[in-house]
Amino acid sequence: MKLCITGVGLWARGLSGWNEFLARSPNDFAGIDAAFSPPSPEAIPARERRRAPLSVRLAVEVAHQSCRMAGVDKALVASVFTSAMGDTDITDYLCRELAGPTKMLSPTKFHNSVHNAPSGYWSISAGNRSPSSYAGDFHATVPVALLEAATLCTTEDRPVLLVAYDIANAPPFADICPIRESFAVAFVLARSAPRTGWRIDVAVVDGPADWPQAHSPYLRALAASNPAAYCLPLLEALAAERPAELHWPLSRWCHLAMSLKPSDSVTRDARQA
Amino acid sequence: MRAACINAYTLTCAAGVGMPAVNRSLKEARTGLSETPWPGCGVATWLGRVAALDDDERHVDERWGCRNNRLAQLGLEQDGFATRVREAVAHYGAGRCAVILGTSTSSIGRTEQAYSELQPDQRFSPEFRQPEVHNPHSVSGYVAEYLGITGPAMTLSTACSSSAKVFASAARWLACNVADAIVVGGVDSLCLSVIYGFHSLQLVSPNPCRPFDRDREGISLGEAAGFALVSRDPFGANSLALLGYGESTDAYHMSSAHPEGLGAQLAMQAAIKRSGLSFEGIDYLNLHGTGTRSNDGIEGRLCASLFPESTLLSATKGWTGHTLGAAGITEAVLSINALATGFVPGTLNTRSPDPACEAPILLDGVEAPIDTAMSNSFGFGGNNCSLIFGRA
Repeated sequence: MKLCITGVGLWARGLSGWNEFLARSPNDFAGIDAAFSPPSPEAIPARERRRAPLSVRLAVEVAHQSCRMAGVDKALVASVFTSAMGDTDITDYLCRELAGPTKMLSPTKFHNSVHNAPSGYWSISAGNRSPSSYAGDFHATVPVALLEAATLCTTEDRPVLLVAYDIANAPPFADICPIRESFAVAFVLARSAPRTGWRIDVAVVDGPADWPQAHSPYLRALAASNPAAYCLPLLEALAAERPAELHWPLSRWCHLAMSLKPSDSVTRDARQA
Repeated sequence: MRAACINAYTLTCAAGVGMPAVNRSLKEARTGLSETPWPGCGVATWLGRVAALDDDERHVDERWGCRNNRLAQLGLEQDGFATRVREAVAHYGAGRCAVILGTSTSSIGRTEQAYSELQPDQRFSPEFRQPEVHNPHSVSGYVAEYLGITGPAMTLSTACSSSAKVFASAARWLACNVADAIVVGGVDSLCLSVIYGFHSLQLVSPNPCRPFDRDREGISLGEAAGFALVSRDPFGANSLALLGYGESTDAYHMSSAHPEGLGAQLAMQAAIKRSGLSFEGIDYLNLHGTGTRSNDGIEGRLCASLFPESTLLSATKGWTGHTLGAAGITEAVLSINALATGFVPGTLNTRSPDPACEAPILLDGVEAPIDTAMSNSFGFGGNNCSLIFGRA
C-alpha cells in the first residue's frame, strides 16, 4: 500500500513535539535530563480535561499535533488508536476496588476504562464524527494498528490519524509488560501529499522480523521502555530525510515491511513551522 | 463496495451453545437470562451467562488460561466452525488467513482474580503471571494460535461496537489483499468490572431487560463468543454476504449517546450507501436495543424516521443479555441467521412498547423470508457501527 506520512506528533520525557525531536536529531538526545511532564491538551474542553486520565491526555495531545502539522481538517480525519496495555492505572483501580469489601466503582473511571476512551475524547475535542477505532496486538500493537490505518486510508481514500500510546506502570503490570516511561506518538497518513509528506510503501510479508534498533543510545533506551516507542527508528528515519527499509514484527510468523522515501520539501517545511 | 462472502458462522451465548440451540431458544421465545448471582457479586440482576462453560473441561494452554479464552474455544468448536476454518487454512495457506476479533472485557476477569490473591510485594502470585492474558489483545492471539492462522491477528476494542467493526476492518483487509480469508468475531465474558461498573452508572436492570418497553429498567449483562469466516471469493456453497458497513463517532459524550442519534444516523447512512441499497430495501433491522431508558428512545425515534413500515424491527438482548464487546457479533450472527433460516426473532420480554420510542417494534418472531438484514451496534465513547448482510 503506497501512502504518505504528512504529520507527526510526539510526547515523551523531554520531547514535547516533532520539532523538538528534529532539533535534537540525530545526536543531541543525550542532553535530555528533564523529568516526564504530562501534557494538558487545551483541545479537550475544561470540563472533560479534569476527568481525562494520562492515557487520554497523551493520545489527544499527539493527535492534535500531528493534524496541525499535516494541515488536515481535524474534524474529518478517520482515526486508529492503539496501546499494548490500555490504561493500567484504571485497570489497577478497578481490580483493587473489586478485590476489596465495598466494590464501589467511580462511574467516571468506569466509562474511562473502555479502551476507546482516548478515541472518544479525541472525537469530542476535534468535533470529529468520522470512523475511529482502538486496534492492536500486544507487543505488535503499533504495526497492527499501522496496517489497520493503511487499509482504512487506502480503501476509503481519506486521511487517517494513527495514535500509539502506553503509560508507565508498576507491579503487578510491570511483570506482565514493563513500561518504564510514558510515551505517545501520532502519524497522519494520506493517499497523497499536496503540501508535504514522506512516501511510504507498506506490505505484510511472511517470516519473522526483529524490531529495528534506534541509532541514538537515548532513543534506543526509550524504545526499550515502552511498546508504543518501539517505532522510534521510523522517527529517526523521517528526521534523517533518507530512504529507509524498516521491518516490524506482526507475529512470530509475519511482519510489516515498510519502504520509506523522503519528499524533499517535507522536513524543511516542518522545520520552518 | 464489493461484497465479502460469509462462509460459516457460529454463536455461543446464554440463549444456546451453537446455532441449533440458539435457534430453539429463538423459536420457543425462551430467555437465556438467569437470576443466579455471579460469584462474589452483590448486585441483584439477571445475567446472560454461558452456564455450559462452568462444567466444560476443555483445555486451554496455561499461557492463555482464562474464562474469556475458554469461552472463545467453546465457541470455535460449535457448528463445525473450527473445522471450516482449518479447511480455509489448508486451501489458502496459514499466512493468507487473518484474525480480527472484538472484545471489551478481554480477559480482565482473570486480572480481577489475580488481584484478589495479590502478594504483599504487589506482584501477581505465580499462577497468574500470564503476559498473554493480562492485556487487551489476548483473545485474538489465542484464537490465531488455536486455529493455526499465521497471518496478522488484530483486536478491536471500542466498547459495545467492537465486534461489529470487525466486519468493516475485514472488508478493508480483503480489499487491500492483506489476506484471502479472515476469522472475524468477538468474545466478552462476565466479570465483576462490568457488573459493578454498569451498576455505578445506574444502568443495570433488576429484572430481565425489556428493550423498548414502556417499563424498561436498564440492561441485563451477558457473555458470548461468536465468529464468522469471511473471504473475498466464495469458499464452498454458502451464498451469504456482507453488503455494507458504516462507522462513526458521536463527538458528544463518553457514556451518553447523542440526543438525536446523530452518530448512529451517520453510521446507518454510510452502511446504506456502501451497500447500494436504500432504507426501503432493508427487510429486517436488529436494533442495538439495550433496554436503557435513554438509548432505546434515541434509537427508536431515529429508526422510526429512517425506515419504512415494511422493515421488521426487533432487539434480541432479552435472549442474550447485553454481551458488550461481543454484542456486535452476537447480533450480526442473529441477523445472518435470520437470512439463512427465514425466521425473524421478536423482542423477548417486551410486552408494552413505549410510544415515546415511536418505532413499531416486532414483539413476536415471524416466519418471513428476508433478503437483507441490518444490525446496529453503539458503544461508549460514542462509537457506532452498522452492518448490512444479504445474499451474494
